Amino acid sequence: MKIVNHALFVAACAIAIGPALREVAAKPAPPPPNGPPSKAVTEAILDAIAEEMNRQMTQLEIPGAPKPYHIAYKITEVDVNDVAASLGQATSKRNRHFVNLEARVRVGAPAFDNSNFVVPQADEIDAVSAINLPLEATPRIARRATWLVTDAAYKEALIQLRAKLEARRTGGARSSDVPSWTAEKPVVSEQPVLVPQLESLDELETRAKLISATFRDLPAIRDSRVAITSYLERRWYLTSEGSNVTDTRRASGIVIAASGQADDGEPIGQYFLRYGHTAKDLPTDDELKTESKKLVELITALQKAPAMDKYRGPVLFEGEGAVGVIRFALAPHLGGTPVPEGLDPREAKSFGGAFTDLVGSRILAASLSINDDPTAKAGNGKALIGGYKIDDEGVASQKVEVVKDGVLKTLLLSRTPSKKGQVSNGHARRTADGGAFHGSATNLFVSGRGAVPRAALVQKLIAAAKADGLKYGLIIRRLDDSAITSAPDFSRRELVQMIKSTDQTLPPPAILAYRVYPNGKQELVRGFKMGDIPVTVFEDVLGVSTEITTYNYLAAAESQLQLKLGVHTGSNDEGWVPSGGIESGVITPDLLLKRVQVGGAIGGERPQPVTPKPAK
Amino acid sequence: MEWMRRFGAISGLMIAAFGCPGPGGNGTGKGSGTGPNDPPEIKLDLPSIPAKIEVTSSSPTDGNAPDARSPILDIMKAEVEREMAALTKQKDPAHYISYQLLEQRIVSIDAEGGAIINDSDQTGRNLDVEVRVGAPELDNTRALADEQSAINGPLARNGVAPFGDDKQSLTNALWLETDRRYREAVTALGYVRQDVSTLKSKTAIPDFSRSVAETHVDKPAKLVFDKQQWIDRLKRCSAKALKGQATRGTCSVVFQQNTVWLVNSEGSQIQQSWTSAQFAVSVGVKADDGMNLQRLEQRWGRAPADLPPDAEIDKVIATVTGDLDALHEAPLSEPYVGPAILEGRAAGVFFHEVFGHRIEGHRQKDTTGGQTFASYVNKDVAPDWLSVYDDPQLLTLNGIHLNGFYRYDDEGVRAHRVSLIDKGRLLGFNMGRNPIKGFDKSNGHGRRSAGLPPVARQGNLVVETTRSVPRVDLEKMLLEEVRRQKRPYGMIFTDISGGFTNTQAFGPQAFKVLPVMAYRVYPDGKRQLVRGVDITGTPLIALQSIRAASREVETFNGVCGAESGWVPVSASAPSLLIEKLEVEKGFIPADRPPVLGPPGISKTVPGTGNARDGLARPGNARDGLAREEIAK
Repeated sequence: MKIVNHALFVAACAIAIGPALREVAAKPAPPPPNGPPSKAVTEAILDAIAEEMNRQMTQLEIPGAPKPYHIAYKITEVDVNDVAASLGQATSKRNRHFVNLEARVRVGAPAFDNSNFVVPQADEIDAVSAINLPLEATPRIARRATWLVTDAAYKEALIQLRAKLEARRTGGARSSDVPSWTAEKPVVSEQPVLVPQLESLDELETRAKLISATFRDLPAIRDSRVAITSYLERRWYLTSEGSNVTDTRRASGIVIAASGQADDGEPIGQYFLRYGHTAKDLPTDDELKTESKKLVELITALQKAPAMDKYRGPVLFEGEGAVGVIRFALAPHLGGTPVPEGLDPREAKSFGGAFTDLVGSRILAASLSINDDPTAKAGNGKALIGGYKIDDEGVASQKVEVVKDGVLKTLLLSRTPSKKGQVSNGHARRTADGGAFHGSATNLFVSGRGAVPRAALVQKLIAAAKADGLKYGLIIRRLDDSAITSAPDFSRRELVQMIKSTDQTLPPPAILAYRVYPNGKQELVRGFKMGDIPVTVFEDVLGVSTEITTYNYLAAAESQLQLKLGVHTGSNDEGWVPSGGIESGVITPDLLLKRVQVGGAIGGERPQPVTPKPAK
Repeated sequence: MEWMRRFGAISGLMIAAFGCPGPGGNGTGKGSGTGPNDPPEIKLDLPSIPAKIEVTSSSPTDGNAPDARSPILDIMKAEVEREMAALTKQKDPAHYISYQLLEQRIVSIDAEGGAIINDSDQTGRNLDVEVRVGAPELDNTRALADEQSAINGPLARNGVAPFGDDKQSLTNALWLETDRRYREAVTALGYVRQDVSTLKSKTAIPDFSRSVAETHVDKPAKLVFDKQQWIDRLKRCSAKALKGQATRGTCSVVFQQNTVWLVNSEGSQIQQSWTSAQFAVSVGVKADDGMNLQRLEQRWGRAPADLPPDAEIDKVIATVTGDLDALHEAPLSEPYVGPAILEGRAAGVFFHEVFGHRIEGHRQKDTTGGQTFASYVNKDVAPDWLSVYDDPQLLTLNGIHLNGFYRYDDEGVRAHRVSLIDKGRLLGFNMGRNPIKGFDKSNGHGRRSAGLPPVARQGNLVVETTRSVPRVDLEKMLLEEVRRQKRPYGMIFTDISGGFTNTQAFGPQAFKVLPVMAYRVYPDGKRQLVRGVDITGTPLIALQSIRAASREVETFNGVCGAESGWVPVSASAPSLLIEKLEVEKGFIPADRPPVLGPPGISKTVPGTGNARDGLARPGNARDGLAREEIAK
């Protein structure tokens, strides 16, 4: 995508209310009153864009080249208040507010067009062009911007189409009767979706300072921060086939992150993350203080905890741990949009795709079923912010039964089909090289038959470990999230070393895990790297819990390594609530998987600081 | 290859000039010819009247207000002492620590075509910690002999620091960053020692120069402005700027409020605080051949109140829109070698690029650098009536605000006036704390933007002459020179947007500056505006080709980018007659104009509706779209 004008995108956030945290579950409270509709994108602005779209559709043509057969515009207005604090003092406080216009142009025909193809040596040519619009509604500028981005996207579309044809002729990409683009009914929904006003920067600052002050006077904590965000994202979709819809998302969230250092020098990081529709959905101040203290206790305990040996055997993914394994090992494979043609095979791996062509086949344990429901506003009684009315291709959201009793029923689809006759089921959310939106998980509801209480599941784990001849079983309660725990602790040399040596396709490390011995004793162990977790591990599920965890997250386009380095490269502002990625939620029971491989320390052996942490 | 970044896409100030008495006598232009086939060296009679330069200045010690001292200085002092007490005892001892905490509020408002397109007001704090390990003679900052990627250098990073003056949170931030930087420095020093041990030739020049402890406290500066008034002004301004050929008309302001606290292990404790204001009018259009044309004018001040009133802004708008219209009609120029005049501001930029960057001390030490002037100390490099100095203590020159004012540099050293060229002879360099042969002390020019290691940079560069002629006579001299060299025309450059210069030994020691307003001047005096040209050359020849200067001096204010980031600077110079200047064809990108004409933007494109009116259409354009309400 060629950005005509720099467009900073802040997408979405997540909610996380797990069973381990039920005591701090959001209390019902009336939401704040709704704010006004957009002042930046008014009827006059949409008219100007639509009028220019009509002109472009009827007149845009380079002699000898195909005309556009489809033009789509996504207008996004983002308004974000962010505050971060450490030890009771604000470290940053800012508002970001911008409007972005993005054009997508298709040439050729739905049966075969330019889309979803990565042009060799020029992956920025993707028939997408974007530009910022004024915050003050100015139809003249909006129309002019529409003219420019449409023209730029059209020219890219022509190059992309030519390259795609060439690739097919030379065998560099597949040839098939699968169309490029599905036919969908146009959708119109012009009524503004009003959402509660943002919490003010001053409100956020007061709270961030209050919670972060709980980390004062604690020698075990090297660094800590509390970041709070409140944002809204208004969207409008206009397409040449007649869709004309608007939608709005609204979220508030809080991150608490802290780090320490083990006696042997290894860095230790932990985090706490919650999101809601507004601050009313977040834990109370007292509850957040309690969670902060728990983090401190955990880090203190981890400083003395033993390192984990290499392990291959049954693993109980509990609470957020179950969410993590679904998020990183299963959810990426549920998208049904074909991998972009011409994509580097190493990058293609991040698309998952293990279940392509397996609809109707058994892919999971027969006890498991999965639904994906972007229309859900809550899961297991907890607020969900991952839902939406309209997906990124202007298609209405739909609840989808993905897996029934272990059998794959359908994948999550966009308007780029993977087989003939397929239509979108309203899950186009993920952008990728090649310009097409890809189907991806939204609110993923995992359910299991034969659920037992968590305590009973632990006994099952012990039995399974014993059967495998192991001295202990393993419980994983939290995986790392580099977007949150990333810290600027690396030198330039260390960064290069990390980039060269890290397998970016592996799930993130486990940062909260316990060995469970036959006598039931649970022993906290230091964090460790996860091995590869193939989707086949979900075929051997030894049990699920009656306890359900609801947790939303950001499915970032970047790898965990990229997120970790983001602090250094500027793409990930330290201290902020992560605000880039696709809102996605997982609602799942604990999962006892028969065989998982883990092992290897996360951090190196860093020297302890020469100068002791300053006294209070 | 290290190309210096642009001197900011910035235009400067047109200023009035005054006559000024000076030493009597006649002078001659001086300089070597450029080749065996050149016409003989010209000798011009120049009256012994210096170019007019009247300055105001403020000493670094002025305005010291100990009562306004922030407790932040005490917190930083205590931590630097605690850290030094521990780190100097290590196997790899720290020999110097510096803390610099910058609090910066930036107000930025942009309007385009009558509408606000950006309105932001952000305040941030950034902490820069420098820990040097080893000894001044050899420490972790020494570049590896053949290392191009700077992998051994400190990582550019914006250190997080809390607002306020809470001791615990500030001290923790200082401690964290010191630990990180110390660990990084110890690793780097290991590589440096290994590198040095394998080199045949070893330099005796140290890596660091110590300086005296400084104590200074500015009163906290406060940014005062009427935001709504500025929004209204910018809207009016940008609406007016969108006229003639312009398809883009933007007016903007950037107001800043900065406070910097610096404490180092030498005992310096410095609190500096200032505001600044910048106003810009920018217009642009694409020429018929695809060349992007733009014209920018800026005004600077120490506070928003210093910026020009509406009446003056209207004049600026008239200038930029008039120039843009003229550029739109101007022909492309061909490569040219011949006499030329660089008018005041253009001459300032010329000196900044051609001379100023090469006189930054550390470049004479960099083994991969061209070291253009390293061997020219005490040798003639320019006419004997021309001198150049850099003085960050200057507030104004001929009544014009100078952007490069500061009291103490980013290495805690008092800003000094530095005589760079005196009567044509090269005397010295702008120095930071990185010593070079013959220059072992900083003169207060170590500068950076937040997050980057400081290096020697320019402040207020001033070109002064002991001989000069009125500007009108300079043009007569140009025409005489055109005739003497038998050239069809001479050239005058009145505005330069910026430039860059290669200082790496691997590449040619050449510069390129990018004129915006370039004129051919024919022997009959007729002027013709042209476009698409760049000035190129090599620095030594360029300096020695200067033949005359005008009495009037102009100032170019801007911000300059290099490896230590963006820093505010100025360059002041008289107009200069250059005997031979090389002009080459500028880069014109491939033109891919929009397939369709603008939607009612320009009257020049037929068949595209009303000019600047995308709205005058009946009904709702979306009414024609299919309507099928989705299920609620």
